[in-house]
Amino acid sequence: MISLGPLSFAVPLALAGLLALPALWWLLRAIPPRPRQLRFPPLRLLAGLASSEQSVERTPPWLLVLRLVLATALILGVAQPLWNAGKPLPGSGPLVLIVDDGWAAGADWPARQTVMADLVDRADREGRRIILVSTAPAPGLAEPPPPRLLTASEARDRIAALAPHPWETRRDVAIAALRALPALESMPPGTVVWLSDGLRGGEDGTVAGLVRSLRALGPVRLVLPDPGAAAKVLRVSAVSGETLKVNVAQAGAGTLDAVVQAVDENGRIVARALAVSSDGDAGSPAAELILPAELRNRVARVELASGRTAGSVVLLDARWQRRPVGIAASPGIGAELPLLSPSYYLERALEAGSEVRRGEVAALLDRDLSILIVPDDGITDGISDPGLHRRIDQWVRDGGILLRFAGPGLAMRGNRDDELLPVPLRAGERIHGGAMAWREPARLAPFPAAGPFAGLNLPPDVAIFRQVLAEPALAGPASVWAELDDGTPLVTSRGHAQGRLVLFHVSADPDWSSLPLSGLFVEMLDRIIDLGRGGTGVAGDGPPLAPIRTLDGFGDLGPAPPSARAIPASLFAESAAGSQHPPGLYGSRDRRQALNLPDTLPDPKAIEALPRGVEVAGYAPVPEIDFRPWLLGLALTLIVIDLAASLALRGLLPVGRRSRMPRTAGSVVLVFAVATAAPAWAQQAIADGTAVPEALVTSLAYVDTGNAERDAISRRGLAGLTAIVNRRTAVELGEPVRIDLATDELIFYPFIYWPLSADATMPSDAALRRLRAYMASGGTVLVDTGAGRRGDTPAADLRHLARALDLPPLAPVPEDHVLGRAYYLLSAFPGRFAGGQVWVERSGDRLHDGVSGIVAGGNDWASAWALDANLRPMFAVVPGGERQREMAYRFGVNLVMYVLTGNYKADQVHLPAILERLGR
Amino acid sequence: MSTHRLSSDIFHRAEAAGAELPPLLVAAERVAATVSQGVHGRRRVGPGETFWQYRRYQHGDPMQRIDWRMSARSRHVFVRQTEWEAAQSVWLWRDASPSMDYCSRACWPRKSDRANLLLLALASLLARGGEHVALVGDDRGPAPGRTALKRLTAVLMRRAQSMDSVPPPVALPRFASLVIIGDLLTPLDQVAAMVGRFVAQGVRGHLLQVLDPAEETLPFSGRVRFVGTEGEGEAVIGRVERVRPAYAAAMAAHRAGLNRIARAGGWTFAQHHTSRPAQSALLALYLALSAQS
Repeated sequence: MISLGPLSFAVPLALAGLLALPALWWLLRAIPPRPRQLRFPPLRLLAGLASSEQSVERTPPWLLVLRLVLATALILGVAQPLWNAGKPLPGSGPLVLIVDDGWAAGADWPARQTVMADLVDRADREGRRIILVSTAPAPGLAEPPPPRLLTASEARDRIAALAPHPWETRRDVAIAALRALPALESMPPGTVVWLSDGLRGGEDGTVAGLVRSLRALGPVRLVLPDPGAAAKVLRVSAVSGETLKVNVAQAGAGTLDAVVQAVDENGRIVARALAVSSDGDAGSPAAELILPAELRNRVARVELASGRTAGSVVLLDARWQRRPVGIAASPGIGAELPLLSPSYYLERALEAGSEVRRGEVAALLDRDLSILIVPDDGITDGISDPGLHRRIDQWVRDGGILLRFAGPGLAMRGNRDDELLPVPLRAGERIHGGAMAWREPARLAPFPAAGPFAGLNLPPDVAIFRQVLAEPALAGPASVWAELDDGTPLVTSRGHAQGRLVLFHVSADPDWSSLPLSGLFVEMLDRIIDLGRGGTGVAGDGPPLAPIRTLDGFGDLGPAPPSARAIPASLFAESAAGSQHPPGLYGSRDRRQALNLPDTLPDPKAIEALPRGVEVAGYAPVPEIDFRPWLLGLALTLIVIDLAASLALRGLLPVGRRSRMPRTAGSVVLVFAVATAAPAWAQQAIADGTAVPEALVTSLAYVDTGNAERDAISRRGLAGLTAIVNRRTAVELGEPVRIDLATDELIFYPFIYWPLSADATMPSDAALRRLRAYMASGGTVLVDTGAGRRGDTPAADLRHLARALDLPPLAPVPEDHVLGRAYYLLSAFPGRFAGGQVWVERSGDRLHDGVSGIVAGGNDWASAWALDANLRPMFAVVPGGERQREMAYRFGVNLVMYVLTGNYKADQVHLPAILERLGR
Repeated sequence: MSTHRLSSDIFHRAEAAGAELPPLLVAAERVAATVSQGVHGRRRVGPGETFWQYRRYQHGDPMQRIDWRMSARSRHVFVRQTEWEAAQSVWLWRDASPSMDYCSRACWPRKSDRANLLLLALASLLARGGEHVALVGDDRGPAPGRTALKRLTAVLMRRAQSMDSVPPPVALPRFASLVIIGDLLTPLDQVAAMVGRFVAQGVRGHLLQVLDPAEETLPFSGRVRFVGTEGEGEAVIGRVERVRPAYAAAMAAHRAGLNRIARAGGWTFAQHHTSRPAQSALLALYLALSAQS
């Protein structure tokens, strides 16, 4: 085998044939092709002329060139040229294989193993020994395993057993150990291949310096991953309200397009977001994961969807979750009269999104708690005991939030001996309405924009009958979060060291106000709970934290290896993930603390400039290209052309009918073209003939909103619903169809799903006109704002839409509506969110068999229906439970039945009367 | 079976080609010895069935000729004369040598096909005109009508190629008409000998040269080895395009020689290319046969 750069010849002897080319040239020139032979009757007339024109004929130059090319192609083809065929390893000593098996290698480990196996195979062929050096510390040790001289089979076993470790490499130590290897002294220089992770090291020395020190062992080849495939570091930077801010750091300045996802304990994706940066973007791109309060506690980890390593997984422990809320209650109080107990209303308001604990204050404070709610039950508020008072004070100073409610007890005591109030209070309460008062009950004023309640809707029916009043002169640093329409405070708050004191100036039961009965109460408590800080740290005097589950090098959580050691509780906050403490969850089952690798990783940086003479390669397998079939194929083609040309020159081809030749050739070309293009035409015909297939199969349709993600959810959702409907009912639906309101024919679809989120663009007037015609002809549109409970009242754009579509007035679905009984008996229509109101055309209009042309709501049904490729639900439902998903499917089945069968189930209303008549 | 279909096919095509011309009348003066009864009035007194004229009885007239009814009307005796109705026998010959089996393009017929077609078309015309036709070299003599035509077709189809490029030296009756269709590419002296022999017999003849256009224009180029069709050998020509003018001159000289030979014997000469419709050649033959009257 000889090589010319990346080109090599497997059978170089055949190249000697090229020497014969000049001889061939001469030979071909000397022997002209035989002339064309023609039968010709008037030969006698020609015979006399022939002698004068007999001349020596040469082979035409083009034929000569053709045949020389043919011969060259044949010779080269036999010589079998190979592009990128593996070159022999330089040197004669051992092959030194240095592998970065730290956290950054996890993203494309199989590629590394392939390259390693390839190199070992080659070394085996050449009879070299192999030194395998892995640069990450061995589990449980501070240093990488010592290098050893291996045979090829030993090396193969070692390579198969190698796996990336979820910690940083120690290249300096590994290479120092390699240099110190005594076996190397007696060996001639070999070759060094470094399979690097492409990242500049931290404190373990620069790559350039290490490479320079490796020169003595032979020429160095550095294998780097592609710039885009280098490992990325994911960091959770901030949590505010419903958003979780995430930063993705990558080495070098390249385009980044990473999907960040939040995953729950069971591996289900709770939320996804896209982190995008373009070239030259400074800093690391951020993504915001939207996590409703109900979902946040479920998130177990935040990770990159692809290219996962231990550095791109952040485990979330209790510190990130919404913490438990404690409601102080005296034993025995309210047990027999729940409706008179303030804690009853608090529990009902909080149960949707938080873990609520109830008990005595001392017991509550023994455990982890973020908010302590102390209602005033009229007898004792449980915190007047001085010892307990001090403990609560200390707890608030450490970052707790104390939420108190007024009540008879507080009104009686006033400010006396109570430091845990945001404002000084006047003794006694103020009564706004009632039999003995002239005044009407007070109403709420709009919430101040600066407070936590900003933006909440004020229901008109909340009335305040009594309140405790603050001393206006001594208000001090307290801030008013909510006030009544006469300017007196309703909710006041004051920061207290790291914590906060909040006081509702009304009681938590409906005695003083109707606030606890309204939805506003729930939302206000939600907002206050959102203020709750992440978790408290570990108590310094606790037991050592033992590893429970740890990450491996690929970012997967598994049982902790025996080498992982427990961390003393006092050191946990400062400890970094490493070979002795792999990243993962530490502590006990019920108090888990996450040790995350990205917290201590430096921002990844690309490898600096390398010294001269270092060969740089990539992990992508360089495909070996064998030119032999191409060259031999070319030679074969040329042989056919030469044959045709020779025949033509000899007149054995029908050249007399010259006019026919192009036509024949053209028809051959045409036949080829038709043969190859025919499938494309067929597909074209199906794609264009939309009317035919759609008209034959009943399908659900969804509106193309232009938002690819939204459309994918719609498609998957309708596919999931189609599967359910086909399985459970006699309806046989086809694949869901995406339609464009502006162009597609709508008349084939009984039902169109239209996700109309707040950021959706309104379709054009022409499209709306088509939609109106569709609804007028009996179609039904399911408009889904996807806003959940917040969209209880139709939003402004929905009103605009209703006007544009010339809709009749909409009304909430009445209790006896057919939609609730078309197939299943349903009383609510949940989707991904539960409890949102669903609107239909007001009944009584008997047009179209009583089928409403529009069904509107915000429960985000498609997300609840959507199944992924493994037929598992794609999104968690809120507040949750498989029963809610089942109900969502039942709503979908009912809706399909409703649009397909009309009001026929409405006759069921008369069923009792019919049965009665039959029985009579 | 296939031969039969082929023959009926060419027969019909020939009939169709001939249908476009009026029935051919062949003048037959000075050929009394060779004529036999035909359907055409010769506009003169002679043997026939149609009344022609009354004539005063002359001495020597046979008694049976006297028309007694006419004679009774007047003082003289009249004989009844009929119109002379006679047919001429026309001898046909076409070249069946291998040189006729040639066409330079598939869209043109072979020369032999065209010659057969012309011959049958002419025979069809003649048969409709009541003439007797016969093939030179055929044992049976001239015969009238469609039966003769069918017989002719069968003979044409059955007969394989022969190497004769000119008609064989057969004895034809005096004053017969002879039509020779072929490429007439044989040396001029052979043609002259053949024509001289027939002229000596008192036969009037027509020469029709059927050529492929390629034989006229030599449309080839480059180095070509030309092979004769009848064993003339071969000729290699380096650049055919160069000899094209010389060839055209040679062909013109040959044709002039043929013309001269025909003129010398009182014959006519015409030329036909297979690229032209057969009707044009048929018309030329018709004119030539009519002009003899």
